Amino acid sequence: MASRVVVREHINGWLFIAPALILLGIFMIYPIIWSLWMSFQTGRGMNFSFGGLANIQRLFADTVFLRALGNTMIFLVVQVPIMIILALLFAVALNDTKLWGRSFFRTAIFLPCVTSLVAYAVLFKSMFSAEGVVNATLVGLGLDPVPWLTDPFWAKVLIIMAITWRWTGYNMIFYLAALQNVDRSIYEAARIDGVPPWARFLYITLPMLKPVILFTTVISTIGTLQLFDEPYNITQGGPSQATLTLSYYIYDLTFRFMPSFGYSATVSWVIVVLVGILTFVQFLVAREGRRA
Amino acid sequence: MSGLKLRGVRKSFGSVEVIKGVDLDIASKEFVVFVGPSGCGKSTLLRMIAGLEAITGGELHIGDELMNDVDPSKRGIAMVFQTYALYPHMTVRENMGFALRFAKVPKDEIKRQVDEAARILELGPLMDRRPKELSGGQRQRVAIGRAIVRHPEVFLFDEPLSNLDAELRVHMRIEIARLHKELKTTIIYVTHDQVEAMTLADKIVVLRDGVVEQVGTPLQLYDNPDNLFVAGFIGSPKMNFLKGIMENGAVRLPDYENRIVPTGVRAADGTPVTVGIRPEHFKEGGSAALPLTVDIVEHLGGETYAYARHGNGDLLTLATGNDRAVGSGDSYEAKFDPASMLIFDAGGLRIR
Ligand SMILES: Nc1ncnc2c1ncn2[C@@H]1O[C@H](COP(=O)(O)OP(=O)(O)OP(=O)(O)O)[C@@H](O)[C@H]1O
Ligand SMILES: [Mg+2]
Repeated sequence: MASRVVVREHINGWLFIAPALILLGIFMIYPIIWSLWMSFQTGRGMNFSFGGLANIQRLFADTVFLRALGNTMIFLVVQVPIMIILALLFAVALNDTKLWGRSFFRTAIFLPCVTSLVAYAVLFKSMFSAEGVVNATLVGLGLDPVPWLTDPFWAKVLIIMAITWRWTGYNMIFYLAALQNVDRSIYEAARIDGVPPWARFLYITLPMLKPVILFTTVISTIGTLQLFDEPYNITQGGPSQATLTLSYYIYDLTFRFMPSFGYSATVSWVIVVLVGILTFVQFLVAREGRRA
Repeated sequence: MSGLKLRGVRKSFGSVEVIKGVDLDIASKEFVVFVGPSGCGKSTLLRMIAGLEAITGGELHIGDELMNDVDPSKRGIAMVFQTYALYPHMTVRENMGFALRFAKVPKDEIKRQVDEAARILELGPLMDRRPKELSGGQRQRVAIGRAIVRHPEVFLFDEPLSNLDAELRVHMRIEIARLHKELKTTIIYVTHDQVEAMTLADKIVVLRDGVVEQVGTPLQLYDNPDNLFVAGFIGSPKMNFLKGIMENGAVRLPDYENRIVPTGVRAADGTPVTVGIRPEHFKEGGSAALPLTVDIVEHLGGETYAYARHGNGDLLTLATGNDRAVGSGDSYEAKFDPASMLIFDAGGLRIR
């Protein structure tokens, strides 16, 4: 039997977390369960009815959905590795005590992720427009102008550049924090022992940062699967749906077209399932690496 | 094998000078210990020899080569760090063999070297463990093993034992001494523990504030310190210092009933001096004596230390041998041989 003191402590504990639990319940857990239930409803607007697996069948026949899924996957596969590698290189470079102006560069690279989204999107849009600064520079260098906003391929490139610009610094901060916890004499020992700099990075830095790399990869994967801001503000999903992402499509389904709440909930759950699978795979890969 | 030669070596961090001109000769195969209080520049000097810190001024020769601007990996040295600095994600075997991979040593040769080092250090059963699965002493041995496989001309140790507990420290100290015999290389060893310095060194370098205070064998420093600092630093428990005034070829001790102790040391009458007497030099049968009252007694079994004072004067440490009869509050005539006194002038320099 639990003593009276223990019981009272339990009650106290629950009372303390009750406000948070209630708010979480109302604004997170309830909507999540509700959306799961919704994802089995068909119909438009407010009249919907239970449709069983109809929405899931609809997914496979929906070319726009498949398009959005494909685009999202391309963003994921191309952008996340580029960003992680860039962030790593920046972190290692900016961790060098001999580098002049370290804190300036750190701040400069971190700043994008705290700037206003709309402001930067507007700026990107104008810089990369047909007659924007970027093309003017390219022409000035004797190169052909690039149809950033009007060509399906280059629009994807632009979106990738934009999210990379915004989030590289954010990931770099994690690596910098991890690097600063590494005993400096480990590198000094390697230097004395004649381990060349590339090998120090490859065989010492990378393995020691592995947990952080895994963490940032998972976070970035989730972020990119939910990509919405940049396509919405810079390219509006175009040209011809070349930058349409899953989140963007959900937005369209819910707010733009004749709303189809049930079906958009189904697409949302596709993202959830993808996040689950990819995170699981990443953990698996990390574990394999440790065993090897 | 090679010795080292330092000439006017200096180091500044910004405008702060930390090493203020060090001249030093270290013979091949010598075991040299840098000792001194915290912050005196021992680590900095060692790191300059290793090439981890740039040399601001002066010359460093290892063997016959000027090494000031040579890369650390090309100086023929290996270093063991206080924090061990093992690669945390590698096994013991990988830790020890890692550097050899980049020296273009063939695989089976690496294995042979690593196994040889493991034999010397008795690491055999631990070869497949990671550093975090080892005890402090085992980690230290791995760190030493990693240095051994490179066959350096000079080993550098920076306080290698200070993270170990007292018992293990004694054990590892003996191991390191044995290693020096077996490997026959030059060793430079940094510590602030003067017992480690006394037991290990062929030659001790006492540093203070970036300056070499004295260089000598352990017994030279113990018997014949050049100044107050070295006298106080070497020897455990510490030497006792008494105020004195020179008079007619003897020292008058104003704090001890103006007792007069004859001395062979010559200085002008009235010169204020400091008299140094080691705790173990208070012995029955000495012709001089100090009138003291015992304050605290420490019985260590084989040795008994009495802490005693005259009136309200400074506490003196006396090693009474195995005199178990001494008790707190006793009056005690602390006898000593006047010839064992060391005398220092007002500036702290020894008067001989
Ligand atoms: N990178 C640095 N920048 C500025 N000052 C430094 C630096 N490294 C050391 N110092 C200073 O140099 C002096 C000597 O430091 P050092 O580490 O050599 O002392 P130490 O004798 O090894 O002391 P300890 O016994 O505590 O290890 C100290 O006053 C320290 O503050
Ligand atoms: Mg030090």
